[in-house]
Amino acid sequence: MDITFRIRRYNPEAGGKAKPYWQEFELKDVEPTNRVLEMLHRVKWEQDGTLSFRRSCSSGICGSDAMRINGRNMLACKVLVRDVVTGAKNTIQVEPILGLPVLKDLIVDMEPFFAHYREVMPYFINNDPVPANGRERLQSQEDRDIFDDTTNCILCAACTTSCPSFWANGKYVGPAAIVQAHRFIFDSRDQGWKDRLAVLSEPNGVWRCRTIYNCTPACPRHIEVTRAIGEVKLAIQRGKREGIIDPATIPSKFHG
Amino acid sequence: MLLELRKNSNFVCRKVVTVSSLVTTLTETLRYKGAIGQWSWVLHRITGLGVLFFFILHIIDTSWSVFYPELYEKAIAIYQTPLFTLGEFVLVACVVYHAFNGLRIGVLDYNPRWWRFQQRAAVWVLVATVVLLIPVFLLMLGHVIKYYGSNPTVLPLSEVLAEQLPFVIGIGAGIVAAFIFAVFAGLILGNKEKAVVGGISKGSKLERFWWSYMRMSGLLIIPLVFGHLAVMHVVQGVFDLTVAGTSIPGVTATVTQLGAGEYLGNAINDTGTAVEFVGERWNYLVLSVAIWRFYDFALLFLAGVHGFNGLRYVLTDYTAKSVLLRRTATYACIIGAVVVIGVGGAALAGTITNTSVKMAEKARIALVGEIQSHGGDEQEEATNESATEETSTESTDN
Ligand code: HEM
Ligand code: HEM
Ligand code: SF4
Ligand code: FES
Repeated sequence: MDITFRIRRYNPEAGGKAKPYWQEFELKDVEPTNRVLEMLHRVKWEQDGTLSFRRSCSSGICGSDAMRINGRNMLACKVLVRDVVTGAKNTIQVEPILGLPVLKDLIVDMEPFFAHYREVMPYFINNDPVPANGRERLQSQEDRDIFDDTTNCILCAACTTSCPSFWANGKYVGPAAIVQAHRFIFDSRDQGWKDRLAVLSEPNGVWRCRTIYNCTPACPRHIEVTRAIGEVKLAIQRGKREGIIDPATIPSKFHG
Repeated sequence: MLLELRKNSNFVCRKVVTVSSLVTTLTETLRYKGAIGQWSWVLHRITGLGVLFFFILHIIDTSWSVFYPELYEKAIAIYQTPLFTLGEFVLVACVVYHAFNGLRIGVLDYNPRWWRFQQRAAVWVLVATVVLLIPVFLLMLGHVIKYYGSNPTVLPLSEVLAEQLPFVIGIGAGIVAAFIFAVFAGLILGNKEKAVVGGISKGSKLERFWWSYMRMSGLLIIPLVFGHLAVMHVVQGVFDLTVAGTSIPGVTATVTQLGAGEYLGNAINDTGTAVEFVGERWNYLVLSVAIWRFYDFALLFLAGVHGFNGLRYVLTDYTAKSVLLRRTATYACIIGAVVVIGVGGAALAGTITNTSVKMAEKARIALVGEIQSHGGDEQEEATNESATEETSTESTDN
C-alpha cells in the first residue's frame, strides 16, 4: 500500500523553519504490518535526512519513541501501519508529545519529566541490615503481585504527556512519576513509602489528577495508570498502604 | 534521615517547565484524541464554572429580598425575560450533568480498581442526564409557554444587560483586590514557589482535605440542589413567584387571620411579589425552626465552598507559570467565597417583614404595570380581603 505521512516539523537552527510546520511525505510499497517507526526511518533514509526523532531498541522496551500518532500518544515502534492509517490517502499524522519543550521535530526535552521522576525517590529504601545469609530480602508471592503492574513502566512519558492537567501545569508531578512511586510504595520491603506519600500529597502532587483517564489508554505497557494514581490517593487519605489494593483484581492475575 | 539525604543532594533537579501557553493548552485539549473521559472532564469543568457563575449572581440577588426588596423585585423581573429563561434551561442541564458526572468521579476515585467501567459509566452519565432532563424540560416548557402566552410585560434586553453591570464591576473589584493582596504577599513571602512537588516535604493536609471535601460536599449538594430546583422549576416556575394568589410550595399556613397590612404567614402569595414568596418560606417555622433557612444555608455553604474551591482548581491549573497570578487566583477565590457566603448568610439571618412586602409590591407594579393574579376558585378563598384592597389602591396610584 501507499501511505502519506503528515509530520510536525520544527528546527530552531534552520533559517525560516524556526516555527513549527506540517510536512507531508509519500511512501510506496508499505506493508500494512510495517511499524510506524520503520516507516519514519524510510522517510529519513530515502527522502529527508534531517527528520529527527528518538529511538533505540525498536521493540517497545527502551521507551524513547513516544509520539502523538493520529492525535494519541503511542510508541512508534509498537504501532502497525494498518492500525493507524486513515482516509483515502492512508494518512498517518505524527507530532511530538505535548507538554515538554520541543527540541527538534519529534524530539522533546525529557529533563522536566525525569525531574519529576526523581522527586518521588524511585529507588528501593530499606535501612535494615541485609539478611544474615547475605541474600535477597524475601517477600511472599502475594506481596509481590500487589505492585506487579507498575514494575512494567519503561518511562516513555506517553501517559504524562497525554494528561490535560500536565499540559496546563508542568509542575504537576504527572502520571508516570506516580506509577513509579506506586511500585515502591506498595512494596512490602520498602521503608520509604511514607516519605513518598508526603511528596505526592503536595499541591502539585496527586491532587492535580482530575480522574480524566487519558493516561490509561496511552500506556504502551497496558499499565492501569489511573488506577495506580487512585490507589496512591487512597493511601495518602488513609495514611496506610495495607488494604488499598484488592489482591483479587490485580492485573497480573487478569492477564493470566 | 532520608529527607536529609534529599536536601543535600544535587540529585534532585528542579528544572520543571510549563511549556504550553494557555491558548495551546486549550486548543490541544480539543485536538488530543482522548477517549470519552477527556470530554467528560471538559464538560464537568464548563458546567461547574457555569453553575458557579449563576450561583454568584443568584445569591447576591436573593439577599436583596431582605436588604433591598425593590431591587429583588427587579431582579426577579429580569429572571422573567427570554435571556434568563434560556439560561435557566442551560443552568438546569449544567446542574444535572455536573451532579451525575461528579458522582461518577467520586465513585471511581474511591474504587480505583473499577477503572474498566469508567467509559461505560461516562456514557451512562450522559444517558441519565438526558433521561432526567426530558420530563423536566417539558414541565419547564409548560411554565414558559403559559407565561409568555399571557402577554406579560417583559423588561427589554438592554435593561436586563445594564442591570448585570454592577456584577461585572463587583467581580472586577474582587479580582483587583486579590491582585493587590498577591502583590503584598509577594513582597513578604517572595515570588518563588517551590519549583516542583517534593523537595523537603511534609505534604499538604489542606489539599488532602479539599479532595475529600469536593466529593463529600458533592454528595450532599445533590439532594439539596435537586430539591431546590424542583421547587423553583418543576412544581412551579420562576414565573409563578410573582403571581398573586398562588400557594407557596413547602410551607403551610401558620396564621389563620391576617390583620390589615399583613401578608406573611398564610402560605399564600397575596401580593404576587417575589419578596413575599421568599418571606413566606423563610418565616415558616416547624417546631420553631426556620427549616427553609437552614436548608438554604446548607446549600449556600456547601455549594459556595465547593464552587469556589473548584474555581481555584481551574484557575491555579492555568496560572502555573506565574506565582503572582496563582496567588491572585487563590485570593480571588477566597474573597469570592467569603463575600458570597457572607452576603447570603446575612440575608438568611435577616428578616422579611410586611413592610418589605409592601415595598416590593409598589416596585413590582412600577415595573410591570399590573401584577398577574392566579385565576380560578383557589384564588377566591386564598386572597384575603386586605391584600386585594392594597393591590387595587396601588394600581390606581400607578
Ligand atoms: C434558575 C434557577 C433557580 C431559581 C429560580 C432559584 C430561586 C431561588 C429563590 C426564590 C430563593 C429564595 C429562598 C427560597 O425560596 O428558598 C433561592 C435561594 C437560594 N438558592 Fe436558588 N434558585 C435557582 C437555582 C439555584 C441553584 C442552581 C443553586 C445552587 C447552586 C441555588 C442556591 C440557592 C441558595 C444557596 C439560596 C439561599 C440564598 C441566600 O442565602 O440568600 N439556587 N433560590
Ligand atoms: C450537584 C452536586 C455536585 C457534585 C456531585 C459535584 C461534584 C464535583 C466533583 C467530584 C468535582 C471534581 C473535583 C476534583 O476534581 O477534585 C467537582 C468540581 C467542580 N464543581 Fe462540583 N459538584 C456538584 C455541584 C456543584 C455546584 C453547585 C457548583 C457551583 C456552585 C460546582 C462547581 C464545581 C467546579 C467549579 C468544579 C471544578 C471543576 C474542575 O476542577 O475541572 N459543583 N464537582
Ligand atoms: S506508565 Fe506507561 S505510559 Fe507512563 S511512562 Fe510508564 S510505560 Fe510510559
Ligand atoms: S524504540 Fe525503544 S520503545 Fe520504541
